[in-house]
Amino acid sequence: MKATKLNISRRGLLAGCLATPFVSMMPNVLMPAHAAETVKLQFMYPVGVSGDINTIISGMIDEFNATHDGIVVEAIYAGSYDNTEQKVITSLGVGEPPSLWLPINSSLQTFLGLDALEDITEQAKSDDIYDDFIGGFLGTAISSDRLYGLSFQPSTPVLYYNKDAFAEVGITEAPETWDQLFETAKALTVRDGEALKRWGLIIGGGWHDWMFEGYCRQNGLVPWEADKVLWDRPESVEALAFWKTMVDAGCMAPASTWQGSANDFMAGSTAMLYHSTGSLTNLRTSSPFEVGVAFMPKRKTWGASQGGGPIMIAKKQSDAQKEAAYTFARWMTNTENQAAWSRATGYLAVRKSSWEMPEMQAYLTEVPQAKVAMEQSAYSGAFLQVPAYSKAREVLKSAIDRTLAGEVQAEAALVSATDEVNREIARVLRRQQRG
Amino acid sequence: MSQNLGRIQRKEMLLAYALLLPSLVFLAAFTYWPIVRSIWFSLNDVLLGDPDIFWLGAENYLRLLNDRLFWKVLGNTAFYTFTSVPLSIAAALLLAVALDSKLRGMAFYRSAFFYPVMIPSVAAGMVWVFLYAPGYGPINEALTGLGLPRLDWLYDSKWALPAIVIMSIWKYSGYFMLILLAALKLVPSDLYEAARLDGVSAFDRLVHITIPMISPTLYFVIIIGTLHSYQIFDYVYVMTQGGPADSTNVLTFYIYQNGFQYQDIGYASALANALLIFVLGLIGLVSLTLGRRVHYLGER
Repeated sequence: MKATKLNISRRGLLAGCLATPFVSMMPNVLMPAHAAETVKLQFMYPVGVSGDINTIISGMIDEFNATHDGIVVEAIYAGSYDNTEQKVITSLGVGEPPSLWLPINSSLQTFLGLDALEDITEQAKSDDIYDDFIGGFLGTAISSDRLYGLSFQPSTPVLYYNKDAFAEVGITEAPETWDQLFETAKALTVRDGEALKRWGLIIGGGWHDWMFEGYCRQNGLVPWEADKVLWDRPESVEALAFWKTMVDAGCMAPASTWQGSANDFMAGSTAMLYHSTGSLTNLRTSSPFEVGVAFMPKRKTWGASQGGGPIMIAKKQSDAQKEAAYTFARWMTNTENQAAWSRATGYLAVRKSSWEMPEMQAYLTEVPQAKVAMEQSAYSGAFLQVPAYSKAREVLKSAIDRTLAGEVQAEAALVSATDEVNREIARVLRRQQRG
Repeated sequence: MSQNLGRIQRKEMLLAYALLLPSLVFLAAFTYWPIVRSIWFSLNDVLLGDPDIFWLGAENYLRLLNDRLFWKVLGNTAFYTFTSVPLSIAAALLLAVALDSKLRGMAFYRSAFFYPVMIPSVAAGMVWVFLYAPGYGPINEALTGLGLPRLDWLYDSKWALPAIVIMSIWKYSGYFMLILLAALKLVPSDLYEAARLDGVSAFDRLVHITIPMISPTLYFVIIIGTLHSYQIFDYVYVMTQGGPADSTNVLTFYIYQNGFQYQDIGYASALANALLIFVLGLIGLVSLTLGRRVHYLGER
């Protein structure tokens, strides 16, 4: 008796196993209603700063999925900003882009050149986007008065400093001008004979071109226009020459990496660090000393370029997907989520209403460092929004590196970099005109 | 009779083609077709992510000739090949000769020297980033211990490429050692015995017996090593991203940068064709110089 029962169940099991692949291939047949309602979205995002950002974003997406029937967002962590952009562009090439992605704001013209972006101006205008988003942040997703994304994680570089190290040498205030920065960096550098024990200053490598654009702005120059870069101007040459002076004086590291520089700061291997405000929470909570945050020192004026980027929505997808994608992008940038995201990372909340929330006010009282980047953002603008920005960045980084390594003079490096990039921009624009 | 033979031959031919077909299909789809396409793309303006292409003629190749970075990258690739290949094969040869004995524990040493080959290259790259770290890296600690100056290694444009060469020697010499060990087993031991009776020194035995006897294998290893060396991409990607100041940018990485980072598939294709010519040139150089000196056992 027992045996018979077992046989039947075995047979049933076998039939079930055989049927499973076929059943799973026909969800529309078995569950037509469900299939019609659920919209699936892919969202590609990078991690651009120091800290466990990935866990925070995937937590947000889980929460969105749990609270939104009919929309399933698949989170695809795609690496760095560059990796993410390459994956999106490759999938655009085969005509199957993800529904949404989160690139660096500089890539706006690149994606517009591929006709990849959904114009969300009207939707945003009938919503509260234009009223509640901070204008300077939303502006980085606007081209010719049309809006192509919702700012999600704007940032600027800030000056992080080790307060213990400052106390050691009797400095109480963060430097406010380039000259003070130089003096402070010299005072903070520690050497044991020839061997370096602590740098005065590290400018986060890999994104040092971003910091460099800040230096140009501090010296009164926005070093690019819609169709060219202006790195050969005296303001820019002077900025690079200033870096070289600090490197030659032995108080600033000639080269570093993005994650490595954050680790060096936390380990006390550098007393000051230029890094993204998006790294604030990690640097503040992981360093065994008190972390100070200040504006990047000025020359003629305060100045910074905005990093981070907007969530963009693909043009090539169904209307249902576009609508769901907007719902998701809108949710990621709503008042509560932006406030929580800002507290968890250090990125700047994009909505005025987020900053007014009691939780945010309490946080700013407790962590006044978080206010610095927000205040500095009043002096900031978009970062290198030119066609071929990716090549432009590499060429500029190479010019800076070669100058700091002593292979070439600042002016010669910047003049040849400007020529090379402007030729490249002209080439890309020629192509866009033919197309 | 001859008709019958012809039929058999035809049958065998058919079978041979049938057996070759699967690999031919793969070769055609993934090797020859891409080469043809890259030649076509190199003559056009092709943007990754955009289906439209525009005829340019030779423009991409003219750009290449005027591209300062291309020449630097070509120089870096040549430097890497001409240092890492001879050094890792020399190290492999010495290891193989040293480990070609019947003493106890040799199997352990052979495995130990082969071990780096088995480590995935990305993991190996990350480990060496740590080893080379200027502040706390063990290599700098060791240099200090020996009273030598510390180096910035991967952060120094003069030392970054040599640092990758050193790591490649560590990574690949175990592989070459294994192949050379197998060849050493085939060298008749009476040659060594005769030499020893005549009082020939160990160094002379290496130069005049071992190397000529294993020259076909050495030649093979040099070809394989050369092919490996221009394919280097993973270490550059993981350890330096071509920096600092493009000092570690090599051809494969530069192709990747242009094609995928800058979306410039046309120019990347022109570079890929330059790489093809570079490799053919290298292999030609090796076969014309060393290939003629190879001594095959039993050959007159």
